[in-house]
Amino acid sequence: MKTQAQLAMPRHWLARKRWVAVAAATLMLGISMAGWAAGKNGKKAAAKPADEAGKTVDEEPSAAKSDTVHVTIQTVPPRKAQVKWGRKNLGAIPVPRPLVVERPRDSGPLDLVIRASGFLPVHTRAYTFTDSRVAVKLTPPSEKNTLFGYREEPAPNPDAGVPGAPAAPIPVPEPPKP
Amino acid sequence: MKSVFLACAVIALAGNLGCHAGTQAPPSTAPTQSLPPPTPATVPKPGHAAPEPAQVPAATPEPTHTEGQAFVIHDGKESWTDAEAAARSGYTIIDFSDDWTPFIFAEQHAADGTVLHNRYRRVFLGLANDTLDEDGEPLPAGEKNHLELYGIPPSFGVLRARFFADEQQTCHATINQEKLEEVETIAYVAPDKMKVEEQRTARLRRELEDARVKAKASSLAELAQKDPTQAAKVKAYEHRTAEKSAMTEVEKRLACEGMFKRGVRHATGVYDDAMRLAVRRFQQKNMIYEANYLRSKTMDALARPPRANDYQAFMRVLRERVVSAAGVLEDGSVEGKAGAPTYTGKAGKPVPVRNLVDELTKSAAEQLGLDSEEGVLAFFKRHPAADFRRLRAAVKLPALPEYYAPDMDLSIVIDRGEVWYDLPWDASGVRHAQPRKRYPSFHLYLKYNNQRILLARWRTTVGGWRAEQASDGYEYFRYKGSDVGPRVIRNIVAGPVWIAPESTPIRSLLKMKDVGGAWQRVVNYDELGPGYLSAYGLVAGYFVQPGKGGRPDWDNGIRAHGSSDYLSIYSSEGYSHGCHRLPNHVALRLYSFILRHRPMHVLGDQGMGFARQFLASDDVFEIRLPSRGYSYQLEPPLPVDVLEGDIKGTLKTPVLTYVPKPGTKYPGPPPPVRNSDEGRAGAAAKSEGEE
Repeated sequence: MKTQAQLAMPRHWLARKRWVAVAAATLMLGISMAGWAAGKNGKKAAAKPADEAGKTVDEEPSAAKSDTVHVTIQTVPPRKAQVKWGRKNLGAIPVPRPLVVERPRDSGPLDLVIRASGFLPVHTRAYTFTDSRVAVKLTPPSEKNTLFGYREEPAPNPDAGVPGAPAAPIPVPEPPKP
Repeated sequence: MKSVFLACAVIALAGNLGCHAGTQAPPSTAPTQSLPPPTPATVPKPGHAAPEPAQVPAATPEPTHTEGQAFVIHDGKESWTDAEAAARSGYTIIDFSDDWTPFIFAEQHAADGTVLHNRYRRVFLGLANDTLDEDGEPLPAGEKNHLELYGIPPSFGVLRARFFADEQQTCHATINQEKLEEVETIAYVAPDKMKVEEQRTARLRRELEDARVKAKASSLAELAQKDPTQAAKVKAYEHRTAEKSAMTEVEKRLACEGMFKRGVRHATGVYDDAMRLAVRRFQQKNMIYEANYLRSKTMDALARPPRANDYQAFMRVLRERVVSAAGVLEDGSVEGKAGAPTYTGKAGKPVPVRNLVDELTKSAAEQLGLDSEEGVLAFFKRHPAADFRRLRAAVKLPALPEYYAPDMDLSIVIDRGEVWYDLPWDASGVRHAQPRKRYPSFHLYLKYNNQRILLARWRTTVGGWRAEQASDGYEYFRYKGSDVGPRVIRNIVAGPVWIAPESTPIRSLLKMKDVGGAWQRVVNYDELGPGYLSAYGLVAGYFVQPGKGGRPDWDNGIRAHGSSDYLSIYSSEGYSHGCHRLPNHVALRLYSFILRHRPMHVLGDQGMGFARQFLASDDVFEIRLPSRGYSYQLEPPLPVDVLEGDIKGTLKTPVLTYVPKPGTKYPGPPPPVRNSDEGRAGAAAKSEGEE
């Protein structure tokens, strides 16, 4: 049964209105499917980091951009870790889920310090240019010799390294370059 | 219907913006046409500013002109005209807006019209407008960046505020200009030597006073005349006294301009850290390429009235805008004692290579009534701050030389100058000078009508002995030379990121930073980029040997790039890690020019998910780099030839192994050297003895 307003409308307007309703319903369905997919991806993210530790991954394929970005922070191996940004405590990573921080888009980087019990503190950086995921590898103090920059104490040889001593290099000609 | 109308309006507006964004037409070599009738504007004649209150005029919310308009000056009267029509009539549209960037940071489009965003553009604009710091975080209120020396000129909005602030400033009246002008330089006295120096001066004063009394002279000048043996002492004493007086005025001047950093204490009369930082800020503000001491150029600028310095800054900023609008590069750097080189023109006569940068800037300044301090002040007074959101000017610039074309046959030659392969120190660690009379130089050539025309020539760097971290965690010296022979530049990267190789000394990868009120150690991203302090500067051209038979190009890590480390370019002992450095503003001009006069593709942001951890005193630091920079590809690539230069000293080939640092204890013999594409940059990993 048509309402008074509908009766007053031209027939082609009514047809258009039905199309609009169908389009709106399709759009709503699309949005809820996208939301479901996003949630599913979020769950996947918690299980993903082991093979991608250290990588900064931009996660924003769509052209639609909101005013904020989400920075997803997790550790490898997954541990409850405190995440600090300067004096501000951003919270603990609620393992097995990551910590998600919302920031204004393109508002500059976040210099973070991640501390987990039994591991060396890690200083890292997250960016706000786009949504991103930061998976930080944790290293126990006993394995710090695996990290670049670790150096052994020098041997007690007073001559080692002095120019002119046997260890000093002998100039050699440059090999042909490709 | 309303929404449909709104959408149309938005699209129309966007289209309008898009069109106007692309009106940087170079000056035409075609005959001039008349300008469309201008829209009269209610503005006074240039040089006759309307009476203004003493305060900085308040910004109006909207510009006084519409989108798409540019101002022109006719018979000393300013009016608005349609920028598109003016460009079609042979006018050049100069961008005076606060969101101007050099071409390489402008928003570019892919072939399908998609906007290819540049991550660094926002930071560049924020730095130019004093709204952001180098990380892209908000700048504290009242802070100034002063980054012109590093390739980021202030916006006209910033200069406008500077002119007004200096106009109101009263502290300058307390500075004795004569005392500043009395000395050419002020000798550096280290803070810990100050007392000794003062005692020496006092002793000299006593000696001269005794001599004066003995000689019955009324003054020291008379003493010098009566007793010539005392003349040198009198001169030295008077010089030191003049320097001391000038130092007091320098302190007043720097304080007046707000150059002293808050929180850093300065002891009066002492060239301490606070003073050094203040001098550096002053040099940055006034684009003075000099070491951080009170040397001649710095002293000249300190002796000039503030508005004279402001005017020079205005002219430098205008120059970059004119260069960008006209798409020129020739800056007079090719001129020698015999004048400019010549080429044979179409008419068969020799034509000198013009200094287009100066010529066109002067022409624009004259046409716009901006060729005097008063003219610029009047211009700023009649244009509220809001105007600079989209202000543009239409000028008729002199015609460009006949060799100008959209596709120019350009090439680069780098002469390494005089090169030393010898170790710069002996077995006991004593350094030995390696003097050079001929320094490395960068040449841009154009092939035109079977002639090779030199368009620009600048000082650059070649590699030398550098500190490098070996796989044993210790630093050694290594000779990092510059490759010789033919190469090409295929890729030009704006806002390039330097991926610090593992050989980078850890000490250069860290810095202290205030993070949300906490002073903490962080990875030194200044060095990595993107940014003006990056090892690759604001832009880099990548030298490669073209791959043959389907193989990829061979990249040995040599670049010609911008650099904030200008002392390495201009100092007699400056060296790079193998790359060819240019001051950032020169590199920006160079690559913007090349990209606008050679066929190229915009590749856009080169995303990557790079991360690397390293250990520093029981804390793990992680380098995270989301992008390599914003890339352009030249097709065909630009030819480059690096000349060997003159090899000085005993060794005729470079040492290829690590050399232990004199005086350092090592756990064993040096490990093998490591090579990487990125190992030729790294401004922070300097040789010992460098500043």
